[in-house]
Amino acid sequence: MLKIANFSIGYCLALLLVIFMSCGGGGGGEEGGVTKVVLWEMMDPEEREILDELLAEWNAAHATIQVSRTNFGREQIRAQFLTAGLGGGGADLLFGAADDVGPFSIAGVIHPLDEILGAEYLSRFSEIGFDRFDGHVWMLPTQVGNHLCLLYNTDLIAEPPESLEELVAMAVEQTIDENGDGTPERYGLVFESREPFWLVPFLVGFGGWVMDDEFNPTLDTPAMAKALAFVASLRSEYGILPRECDYQLSDTMFKEKKAAFTINGHWSWGGYDDSDVPFQVTSIPLNQETGLWPGPMISSRGYYINSSVEGERLIKVIEVLDYLNSEEVQIRFADRLGVIPGLKSAFDHPSIKSNERLRASWEQYQKGRRMPVVPEMRAIWDAMRPGFQNVLNGESTPQEAARAMQIDAVKKIAEMKG
Amino acid sequence: MSREGNRLRIVKSVVIHVALVLFTMAVIYPILQVISISLRPGDRLYSTSLALIPDGATLHAYYAIFFEKPFLLWLRNSLLVSITVTIIGVALASTSGYAFARFRFPGHGAGMLGFLVSQMFPATMLLLPLFILLSKIGMIDAIPGLVIAYVATALPFCVWTMKGYYESIPVELEEAAMVDGTTRAGAFWKITLPLSAPALMITALFSFMTAWSEFMVARVIIQSQNLYTLPLGLESLAGTFQTEWANYSAGAVVVCIPVVALFLILNRYLVSGLTLGGVKG
Amino acid sequence: MRSFWKRHSQPYLFLAPAVAVMLFIVLYPFLYNVYIAFSNMSLYHLRDLEFVGLKHFRTILSEPAIWAVFGKTILWTVVNVVSHLVLGVGLAVLLNQQIKGRAIFRALLILPWAMPQYITALTWRGMFNYEYGSINLGLKAIGLSPIPWLASEIGAFAAPVIANIWLGFPFMMIIALGGLQSIPKELYEAADLDGAGWWFRLRKITLPLLKPVLLPAAILGTIWTFNNLNVIWLITNQGEPADKTHILVTYVYKAAFHYYRYGYAAAFSLVIFVILLSFVLAFLRAGKERTR
Repeated sequence: MLKIANFSIGYCLALLLVIFMSCGGGGGGEEGGVTKVVLWEMMDPEEREILDELLAEWNAAHATIQVSRTNFGREQIRAQFLTAGLGGGGADLLFGAADDVGPFSIAGVIHPLDEILGAEYLSRFSEIGFDRFDGHVWMLPTQVGNHLCLLYNTDLIAEPPESLEELVAMAVEQTIDENGDGTPERYGLVFESREPFWLVPFLVGFGGWVMDDEFNPTLDTPAMAKALAFVASLRSEYGILPRECDYQLSDTMFKEKKAAFTINGHWSWGGYDDSDVPFQVTSIPLNQETGLWPGPMISSRGYYINSSVEGERLIKVIEVLDYLNSEEVQIRFADRLGVIPGLKSAFDHPSIKSNERLRASWEQYQKGRRMPVVPEMRAIWDAMRPGFQNVLNGESTPQEAARAMQIDAVKKIAEMKG
Repeated sequence: MSREGNRLRIVKSVVIHVALVLFTMAVIYPILQVISISLRPGDRLYSTSLALIPDGATLHAYYAIFFEKPFLLWLRNSLLVSITVTIIGVALASTSGYAFARFRFPGHGAGMLGFLVSQMFPATMLLLPLFILLSKIGMIDAIPGLVIAYVATALPFCVWTMKGYYESIPVELEEAAMVDGTTRAGAFWKITLPLSAPALMITALFSFMTAWSEFMVARVIIQSQNLYTLPLGLESLAGTFQTEWANYSAGAVVVCIPVVALFLILNRYLVSGLTLGGVKG
Repeated sequence: MRSFWKRHSQPYLFLAPAVAVMLFIVLYPFLYNVYIAFSNMSLYHLRDLEFVGLKHFRTILSEPAIWAVFGKTILWTVVNVVSHLVLGVGLAVLLNQQIKGRAIFRALLILPWAMPQYITALTWRGMFNYEYGSINLGLKAIGLSPIPWLASEIGAFAAPVIANIWLGFPFMMIIALGGLQSIPKELYEAADLDGAGWWFRLRKITLPLLKPVLLPAAILGTIWTFNNLNVIWLITNQGEPADKTHILVTYVYKAAFHYYRYGYAAAFSLVIFVILLSFVLAFLRAGKERTR
């Protein structure tokens, strides 16, 4: 009897031992004079391909500083970095979006870069890319933008519209139901109409914004109601936007050349090129009713340094950071992916200046408004989402939805500060 | 047997077959959709047409995952993890299930309940402390940490299943063997265990799948790319908005194959004939 | 003590390895959560924790939305588990008979279980789309009017239920197939001689004898379904429309982790844990009394 039990225990222990020995732990650290720098990133697949080339080049040239990267989703990278911070670990460098400035700095898991790198270092980057929080710079603005633009299929649309009214009129013309079954074969305008990120340009175009200078939500405004009514009318009145149009549907339809216009960011351009869609980039046109330009949210993406990195190691990590933000590297990203470089010298480079899409994207950028980096923004997004969807589904009026958004946002912020 | 009865039987059999075929077709339709996505050029998750074979269908995604992505590395890691979890899971569950089925001892009820209770806490809440625990003992970013976490996930079901199955095997069979001079352990090993083949199969399949398709725990524990398991690898094809849907689906289709193969290998234990009836009679 | 050990050493030794693994992995995280549940841990207090007593529990119980979410959780769990059991057992009984191409049917029917959930869940989401989803296109083809699955409260709840039934029945089928092997053929032969119908055979032979194997699957299936985060999260895109499709775990996940309310989340998880525990205890007790 004992034999079997002993056998099973011994057997399992032996097995465990074998696997323990067969694989050592990875991660950062010093090993035999080699510094292992760990980078966590939330890049899109195409960006990662470039990053892999860059890291391979770096690692081949630097025997004593080896860099490895790990990819995370947008939500995971935030949660995981905070978790790792609790355990006193995590990546040395993190490439993320500016939304994380608030949470990371409050939690104390990142270094203030103005203290680490100095003002002169930071002055090499466009001032427009920085988000200051609590008086400090927390993220190096490697890329500026990350915003929505209007894209049009040049086979269908010769000249971009001059105003929102014209955009609607052109889209109505482009919406075609050939067999008359009530489902158009082609739609005039497709965009993710469930996420409030896509509502913001119109909110700005009607003179509204998401919060005031004290980070209090400002959602219950006439501008919000008008913006909601406008987007809802694209579906209910003009029928130029498909029902339940989420990101994937909008993306698919533009790729299948079954949509004349779409609203999307630079991250989508490569996919449209791969699908052989002839398209051009332009600004979302002027709102003649208010005389205002619709303004997408703009924000930077870039590198954070883990606050647990110090001394000798910090110097080496900054060397890697320098490389990843060099002019040559920034131009490579800009050329291939259409991101706007944060480094002044890269931005002014001739090859960037002559890029038609980048120029159009830059024009749209200048009409945009900075996404707040405070944690409150999350509560505001989550409060806007249901109201936006309810209006589009015809379940509440724009005024009701705007009021509900405000109440919900205030409640969520209070809970968060708990 | 009357003619009438025969005809009735044939009609019944035809109805059953037709119903089964229709049901199976409905069941595999979403699978066909995934295959269809893997064949679409240009990474489109949705399609505006019902055609399963898309315009411009291409097998490029299958080529891409094997030759452009480290799919084989992920496959190797996943197989290593899953097979280890299966072996440990089956070994531990078959013995502890036996203890619960055949012995009465202080802590019996509490023990059985304990295994259930371990599953009741929302798993997502355990991730943060699990990370802290494993990083304290240096098992973060290492396969053993992952294996232990998966064994613990799979065990409760396996133990309960083994216990339930052992109880359906008449204890007299073991007693008869013990009268003949076999030890308890010998009776367990030679008589009870072989008769429990269907339950062992279920346990094995379940343990394997627990490790094979799990993502959340792996995401927390594994950080180095060379230790990625298949779900982590597939997930890395996704971006914030842009995702390599074709490669992702192709990977998902390929990931199915070992599971189906394992099922087919183990399937013979699910075929009537290996039943207790023979022994009992 | 010595005699106690002598009497019971066998089962304890059989159990020791499994219990050790469970304690190692489960105990510390569980206790840590209990500790956090009574603290003010959040983004603003990540390391400087303070004891706040029952504050989080009071917040949870005074949340008006919680009871509707609780009701949906029960509905979600019952519909799923019952469907899994009925489909799984039904198919297993069918496929245990002389059916042509039985092995092929079995292999095809486990595919929903074998394929990674992330991609199948998103595929289902696409199939539920109003204008281009294959379900509505199919409805239109047979002359019915399309349903706004993901935009209406009921439709958006039905959609993940349908998808989860699809995801879960193959596993129950495998278990039932395994369980059927422990039923002696002679019992059916005897029932045939007595001229018993299929319903009698199912109720008096198949189901009672499947019970030992199905019971753990049913109980654990209930627990897993109750705590299933993925399917609802992916198909309804985090509880859309307007957070009306949440079950308890998705609700806590969103409410807590979007706002870094770690203490609140831990307390909420404890509440979910206690609810499940009392269900399962009641269920087990009822089962015991009936067999008595």
